[in-house]
Amino acid sequence: MLRAALRSLLQHKLRLSLTLLAVVVGVAFVAGTYIFTDSLKKSFDALFDAPQPDVSVSVDTGVSAGGEGGGGGAPGGLDQAPTLAESLVSQVGGVDGVAAAYGLVAADGALVIGSDGKVIGENGPPARGTTFLDDPAISALSIASGRAPSGPGEVALLESTVLAGGFGVGDKVTIDTASGGLVDLELVGIVTRGISGSDGSTLAVFDLPTAQKLLVGTTGRVTSIAVRADPGVTQDELAVRIDKVLPDGARTQTGTARSADIAERLSTAFQFINTFLLAFAFIALFVAVFLIFNTFSMLVAQRTRELALLRAVGASRGQVRRSVLAEAAVLGLLAAGLGVVGGIVVSQGLRLLLKGFGADLPSGPLVIEMRTVIVSLVVGLVVTLVSAYLPARRAGVVPPVAAMRDEIALPVRSLRVRTALGAILLIVATITAWLGLRDTSDGERAASLVGISALCALVAIIALAPMIGRGMLVVLALPFSRTTIGRLARENGRRNPRRTAATASALAIGLALMSAIGVIAASTKASVTAVIGDTIGADFVVFGVKFQPFSPDVYEAVKDTPGTRTVTYVRQVPIEVAGDRTALTGVDLEKFPDVVDLTMQSGSAIPSLGLGQAILDDRTAVELKLKVGDTIDATFVNGKSQLTLQGIYTAAGPYQGWITGLPTLASIGARELDSGVYVRVTDGGDVEAVRTAVESEIAAFPSVALQDQASLKEQIDSQFDRVFGFIYALLALAVIVAFIGIVNTLALSVHERRREVGLLRAVGTSRAQIRRMVVLEAVMISVFGAALGVALGVMYGSLLQKVLEPQGITQLAIPVGQIGWFLALAVVGGFIAALWPAVTASRLDVLRAIATD
Amino acid sequence: MPTTTAAARATSLSKIYGSGDTRVAALDAVDVEIEAGRYTAIMGPSGSGKSTLMHCLAGLDAISEGRVWIGDTEVSTLSDKALTMLRRDSVGFVFQAFNLIPTLTALENITLPLDIAGRKPDQAWLDTVIDTVGLRDRLTHRPSELSGGQQQRVACARALASRPTIVFADEPTGNLDSRSGAEVLGFLRRSVDEFGQTIVMVTHDPGAASYADRVLFLADGKIVDEMRDPTADRVLERMKAFEQARG
Repeated sequence: MLRAALRSLLQHKLRLSLTLLAVVVGVAFVAGTYIFTDSLKKSFDALFDAPQPDVSVSVDTGVSAGGEGGGGGAPGGLDQAPTLAESLVSQVGGVDGVAAAYGLVAADGALVIGSDGKVIGENGPPARGTTFLDDPAISALSIASGRAPSGPGEVALLESTVLAGGFGVGDKVTIDTASGGLVDLELVGIVTRGISGSDGSTLAVFDLPTAQKLLVGTTGRVTSIAVRADPGVTQDELAVRIDKVLPDGARTQTGTARSADIAERLSTAFQFINTFLLAFAFIALFVAVFLIFNTFSMLVAQRTRELALLRAVGASRGQVRRSVLAEAAVLGLLAAGLGVVGGIVVSQGLRLLLKGFGADLPSGPLVIEMRTVIVSLVVGLVVTLVSAYLPARRAGVVPPVAAMRDEIALPVRSLRVRTALGAILLIVATITAWLGLRDTSDGERAASLVGISALCALVAIIALAPMIGRGMLVVLALPFSRTTIGRLARENGRRNPRRTAATASALAIGLALMSAIGVIAASTKASVTAVIGDTIGADFVVFGVKFQPFSPDVYEAVKDTPGTRTVTYVRQVPIEVAGDRTALTGVDLEKFPDVVDLTMQSGSAIPSLGLGQAILDDRTAVELKLKVGDTIDATFVNGKSQLTLQGIYTAAGPYQGWITGLPTLASIGARELDSGVYVRVTDGGDVEAVRTAVESEIAAFPSVALQDQASLKEQIDSQFDRVFGFIYALLALAVIVAFIGIVNTLALSVHERRREVGLLRAVGTSRAQIRRMVVLEAVMISVFGAALGVALGVMYGSLLQKVLEPQGITQLAIPVGQIGWFLALAVVGGFIAALWPAVTASRLDVLRAIATD
Repeated sequence: MPTTTAAARATSLSKIYGSGDTRVAALDAVDVEIEAGRYTAIMGPSGSGKSTLMHCLAGLDAISEGRVWIGDTEVSTLSDKALTMLRRDSVGFVFQAFNLIPTLTALENITLPLDIAGRKPDQAWLDTVIDTVGLRDRLTHRPSELSGGQQQRVACARALASRPTIVFADEPTGNLDSRSGAEVLGFLRRSVDEFGQTIVMVTHDPGAASYADRVLFLADGKIVDEMRDPTADRVLERMKAFEQARG
């Protein structure tokens, strides 16, 4: 039987090649995801191979010490204040077993200005500055060319920063520093940290006094201390000894612990990326299931007589079924094997895609783990076998007598069971959706109810698609049904409702996801826009580029601009509350309410906040189970303190989290840096005049930019567009597989109907008419699928918006234009998918088409 | 060429498959003339080239040598487009099996060539044809709801609907029982007698051939004999004679 299966595969190789392609694409996505994340992981290994301090000393914030101080590539996260006395360095240096101890300053706020006058990596990840640790044994940063910076006029930059800025050693580089303002420095060296690529962050490296002056504006204090151990002294031993000389609030961390910490954070991040990408790979594979199912159904139908003959000469049902499954297994394995190879291409594609969306990842060797190969082969095999199972079963029940009959057709199975099942699922979907909408307990349960409903509805639609399709095709064909060709195309689409439905459903899945995401994206944007409109009373806001903190000089320059009613600034410090890293915003108690209008739900409003008192948004308050009057421990950069919750306000877009008065911030020793300056024009005043005035004032500060409501919205929009664009790009693969499915179905249909085509040609149908017939059928199937998907997607996108209302997505927006594009895509895609089958059909030899049986 | 009363004709028509040792001449320099308004049957043992001759005359198959005309149009030089137009306007077909489009009703199948050409059917003529084949009450049925004989009568009606210059019928009764076969043959006969239609029919059944005005006998790619006003017995005798001669 296996030989029969193999021979059949070879015979139908052209027809199976598209099925193969679909499986290959799906498996390649799976393999590519693994290869991509494994390779990425590998490229980060350099981080662990790089030298690092044996022990680091930092302030006890629960945050790992010296994130960038050691030159690590992992995101540092929290801003650090220079909270250790420099005198501690020599104290630590005196501990027995310490070979050397270095004071380091590392902080956000060193924006490198490119030759175009703009900040490099604008709005991307942080721009950090750090001290060069001139001890190769423990410094992760090494000099790639030039030399280490020494003295107030010198800087070294990270390789990727130099590349982005187009600098060379010896050039003058302008850097906007948090505490030193704009400075011109000589680029004396280029440093690397062992891994290539860049996440867009920049790193400027100074000597210690320069770093102190430019980054944190103090002398005599450092943010961390790096220690090299004497030979023979273990890290743990040394850490214990150093701990003894440390003041309260400071702590040690060994290099090993730090590596483990970074490794854990990285592995969490990779796990997330992996799962995220795999989700899309499985969507593509799910779509491929329909295609494989269709192919095997058609092959079995075409081979009815052959299969009956096998049965007639004594093959059992099981043997016939197994022969079809064996065929599927060979196909699945072959496709999976090719998919693994394709995975290499996909992994590179993913890298390029991410680069296109702003993340230049470090490159490293391709890593193809055994696990990748095994998972891919298993996935390819299982998907193919599962999809071919039903057709194989049907092949088994072909009666031997069918071999004798002249005209053979498998009995047309009634759609009744399928329709009933679909109807039941639709009811379940309706009920769960209704429960979800009524659920007020918490958003998560409602969202999962709607999710279950969506899944039921999707399966219901797939089950009902043959029924819907028969009617829908009549409607879709209306514009063409006056012509015979149009009617023929319509009836060709309707005659095998299951096949048409399976083909269309594949497309519906992809487009349902795309439309649902489209609705959520548009709704989110609309909601944020509404919040900005409702909340921000200011006409302009000055923000730091990359949302970096900036010098109070900006406020000083702007505050007396004529024609303004209120000018005020806000500051932020990182805090940790209940294990959660977040930010505490300090505002001017009098002026802030005039520029940002927060709605208080309970407790007292901003103007009444005293020292150590704060307000919090409703969502976080619910999350942390806090009520007005509660006091909670918070960890700041320089120690623990407490915050008393005085009021709860309604979260409004970017305005959420802890808000307190500026005096509270000052009391905990926050850096004297602003995170925003709000400007409100006098009522009825000349807004444009104020804009011009403010713009000319801040022109001297390249690290800040003036935003009005429109540009803020635009900026937020573009951030969302980026995220959703990435998701669309990943979903595109599923849509491509669906279109391959259309090509496949039509190619097989044309082959099946070649005698009809021959007859049509014999009675005078032109080649162009045959082509038009096939194209029309394809476009109808494709538009049918797209319409199903878009309808489902828009409906569930809207339901999700309703459910997510408490999460801040308050506005429902349906991106009509975008959905129009999806439908247009379906028309064009259907057209393109039909080209090859259409040309094949039109070139069929009339005589042979009629003669073959 | 001077116009003749021939509906179709061929001069030194050859159809050769393969080359060298495997060279087979399915048709070997055949000269034939199909008279207009007559019913011509082509007979011969299997492999004699009778179907090939019909396909070449109908422009369905490319020829190797010689020339073929339908009416005044030389078929052998036409492009695919022109051939399509010729089939639309001047030729009707009835095949042995699978003659109808399963998704169309009987009536839609009958008017298919006209619909494809975008022409309005001549209603009176259509009625005549439908009544002659006796399908008035079956017009809305799909082929799957019709018997084999009914299907073949639909095919005949379709072949006549556009009033073609010539109708080619390829073993039209091959798949039918004798009664249905007789109905179809009777209908073809009437279309010649009553409407002056030209019909060329390929068959291996002497009984079917007896409905024709003239029978052409083909053997080994050549026309070897011809018989006017045949009867089944005479045709059978002649066939037997060939068998013996070749034997």
